[in-house]
Amino acid sequence: MTAALIALLFVQAIDSTSPRPGPRTIAIDDRLAADAGLKIGDRVVVASSPGGLGDTVVVGAIMHGRADPSEVARSEYRARMHLDQLQSLAGYGDRVDRFAIGTRSEPGADSALRAINSVAFGFRAHRSRDIAVETSRTFLVVSRFHRAIGVITIVASAIFLLCIMLLKVDERRRDIAALRLLGISNRSIIRGVMVESALVAVLGSAMGVALGWIASLIINWHYRGVYRTPLAFAVVTPGIVELAVALSLVLGLGAGLLAGRRLVGQPPLDLLTGRSESRRSSRAAA
Amino acid sequence: MTLLVVARDLSRNYHMGDELVHAVRGVSLDVDDGDYLAVVGPSGCGKSTLLNLLGGIDRPSGGSVEIGGDRVDRMRDADATRFRLLRVGFVFQRFYLMPALTALENVELPLAEAKVTRRDRVARARELLAYVGLAARLDHRPAQLSGGEQQRVAIARALANRPRLLLADEPTGELDAHTGAEMIALLGRVNADGTTIVVVTHDEDLARAAKRVVHMRDGLVVDDRRQDAP
Amino acid sequence: MLLRLVWSSLVRHRARTVLAVLGVAVSAAMLLDMVMLSSGMRASFKNLLLSRGFQIRLAPKGTLPFDTDATIGDATAVSSTLRAISGVATVSPVLGGQLYVTRGDRTTTTIALGIDPSVQGDYEIVAGRSPRSANELVASDDFLRATGTKLGDTLSAAAGFDPQLRAVTGRRALVLVGRAHFIYMAAAQNAVALPLQTLQQMRGEPARDRVSLFMVRAASNDRVDRVLAEIERALPRVTAISTETAMRQVDERLSYFRQLAVILGAVSLGVGFLLVTTLVTVSVNERLGEIIVMRAIGVARGRVVLQVLLESTAIMLVGAVAGLGLGLATARYLNSILASFPGLPAAIDFFLFEPRDAWTALGLLAVVGVLAGIYPSWRGASLPIAVTLREEAVA
Repeated sequence: MTAALIALLFVQAIDSTSPRPGPRTIAIDDRLAADAGLKIGDRVVVASSPGGLGDTVVVGAIMHGRADPSEVARSEYRARMHLDQLQSLAGYGDRVDRFAIGTRSEPGADSALRAINSVAFGFRAHRSRDIAVETSRTFLVVSRFHRAIGVITIVASAIFLLCIMLLKVDERRRDIAALRLLGISNRSIIRGVMVESALVAVLGSAMGVALGWIASLIINWHYRGVYRTPLAFAVVTPGIVELAVALSLVLGLGAGLLAGRRLVGQPPLDLLTGRSESRRSSRAAA
Repeated sequence: MTLLVVARDLSRNYHMGDELVHAVRGVSLDVDDGDYLAVVGPSGCGKSTLLNLLGGIDRPSGGSVEIGGDRVDRMRDADATRFRLLRVGFVFQRFYLMPALTALENVELPLAEAKVTRRDRVARARELLAYVGLAARLDHRPAQLSGGEQQRVAIARALANRPRLLLADEPTGELDAHTGAEMIALLGRVNADGTTIVVVTHDEDLARAAKRVVHMRDGLVVDDRRQDAP
Repeated sequence: MLLRLVWSSLVRHRARTVLAVLGVAVSAAMLLDMVMLSSGMRASFKNLLLSRGFQIRLAPKGTLPFDTDATIGDATAVSSTLRAISGVATVSPVLGGQLYVTRGDRTTTTIALGIDPSVQGDYEIVAGRSPRSANELVASDDFLRATGTKLGDTLSAAAGFDPQLRAVTGRRALVLVGRAHFIYMAAAQNAVALPLQTLQQMRGEPARDRVSLFMVRAASNDRVDRVLAEIERALPRVTAISTETAMRQVDERLSYFRQLAVILGAVSLGVGFLLVTTLVTVSVNERLGEIIVMRAIGVARGRVVLQVLLESTAIMLVGAVAGLGLGLATARYLNSILASFPGLPAAIDFFLFEPRDAWTALGLLAVVGVLAGIYPSWRGASLPIAVTLREEAVA
């Protein structure tokens, strides 16, 4: 009923100085108050059709928008009024959309549920959390979508990191070759490369977290303004930070290992003189 | 004898940290067309810098360089590049061949840049490689050639566009004595066929093969004498 | 010769080149997906709205079609008014509701559309026929599966419940005469369509002479705006929505995805740019000697720059082509995720491929490839020849 009747309600502000005996109060949302220039104490007429006869009511309260994701993209105004008044205005009779029931205890909720459903006809009782699961399906879809994008980003990052490590290590192949000629073991060299890549990954992820946090501030500021809601659209949690850093570390160590092993697999003299490079290019171009 | 190269009061200074290094100080040098000049001196005396100034790959801090009547020191980069392509040939100590190109393709490179048709440049490259004794190595890449062979290819490349002047910086520096002797003979033949050569070298044999020897020290020419060709 | 040098440079470090191409391919795939996302939803929705040729929709004042339970009263009069407007070719009234179909001891809830079968635009018959009489209906395949019914079966359907009497209201026996594909329904949704008056009668007084929506077809596309203006003048109690207005509403509701598409697309381009520019920079640094010697022997700076630019552009383009296939595959996967939005018409695709999108992505990547190579190539080709030769010799 709520959604249907809200669509039917038309609010007309009237001269607030006109004296009317005992009008009832309504609560309107802050967007309607801002857009229609209404404040507490103003008198308005609510009717079920445009320009139709209705009831004069007083704005008794202004509701702030809820951080409700399901209402984010919806642009309707919201108002709350006394049930019997809305039923009368909308011609709905003695009907409601739902009852919300609070029980004294958790076990009490289960028994109440069973009792209601055993006698229900034309309606059913549900646990609030079950309703929440159903109504949050939209956001589960969005979450899955975000996760898929995240996976693709991680794959791209892994390739990028591996490419960068390969480049970095290749650039210093002569230094590494000289170290090997001096007697430094392959193991030490690989370990050194992995430490370097791990450091790059950790530093990079720290910068990324900072960047992500700043981005989340901008996103929230922007979308809160667009949708006029207190909802948080992007949140950086400790868990997310831990995941990002851990993933970066794993990718960095992996990239370092692969790059290092590739390098120590070549004879040091070839690395120094570039012979392997020439041989490869000759083979490739032939 | 006409003058091909006229250098007047050439100087070149570099900043190395806080120090100002005078690599070449007020060098004046005339080179006749068809001459064969060796510039010798201890390491750091400025001979390679002088060669670079003569070839237009470096700009002097002072003085002038004329090659065939053209003021090389005043040319814009694009003009100097074109000048080097068509009028000057360079040979470097480390050969600097393109590793992925064959000997033939390395010689073709400056011809392609000069917009010579493919047929003509292949023919010219073959001719040059035969001239330097590498007719059987056309399709070999630098990695498949010895040091001496690579330097021959480098000389062939330098001669591709028939330059009037060939500048060589330590052409025998990376070669053994036997190969070096071959290189000296080749350069002699190139000069005998009409190309003016200026070579910078530590190699006494190469210096003796030249018609004229210029000694440098501390950025100055300290001696300049003609000598008979061997 | 130039292409030869470009090729030789790329194959010199094959592992590096392959990785860079892979990295660009993933970026290109993401970029293509985002280009498809930014335009796909809109194009898909527009195609859906216009699939049956109805350019205008009328909904209760201040609402979008089926956005709320509100209905339009005096539907007969409204219908007559609409038909009288010059330029209106067809008027299709639609009433939405729910029916409760009982079969044995099982009751299935289904969405019900009350329509005028002669002008309806909500379904396409797959088997059987449209209703011809008051007590006939057509149903979706999901409904048939859920109820275990087939064409020709008679169903017992009710429109509501009376909890005080503990009885259903508006019960009717309806014959299933057709299987239909419901154009605007979400996937896996039970749906039936029956004559408008039948549904109105079943729902009783609250639905008497009421509809949820009118769909209007203008005689020609050029006259849509004029017809719309006429409708708004003649019927101030309803909201008339053209396809363009509906698209704007959709844009608003789905603006998040378009913005996400722009941001992720830009990030993809940025990542691709960084990858290629890093690769080209290292590649140039490694062969400074070769580059400088080319300058020394007389190869023009522009040609050297062009060689390096061709390398970076080649990596981008090869990566882009590889990314095209990858992008189509990931788009399919991402579309399957978003297609499970509750209530979304099954016909909507978020990722709609048009060749123009591929060209757009390719063009962007080519430009980025050029930009990625410009700085390192120009820097390498502009180094002082003598100094660099000396440094290379020392190195």
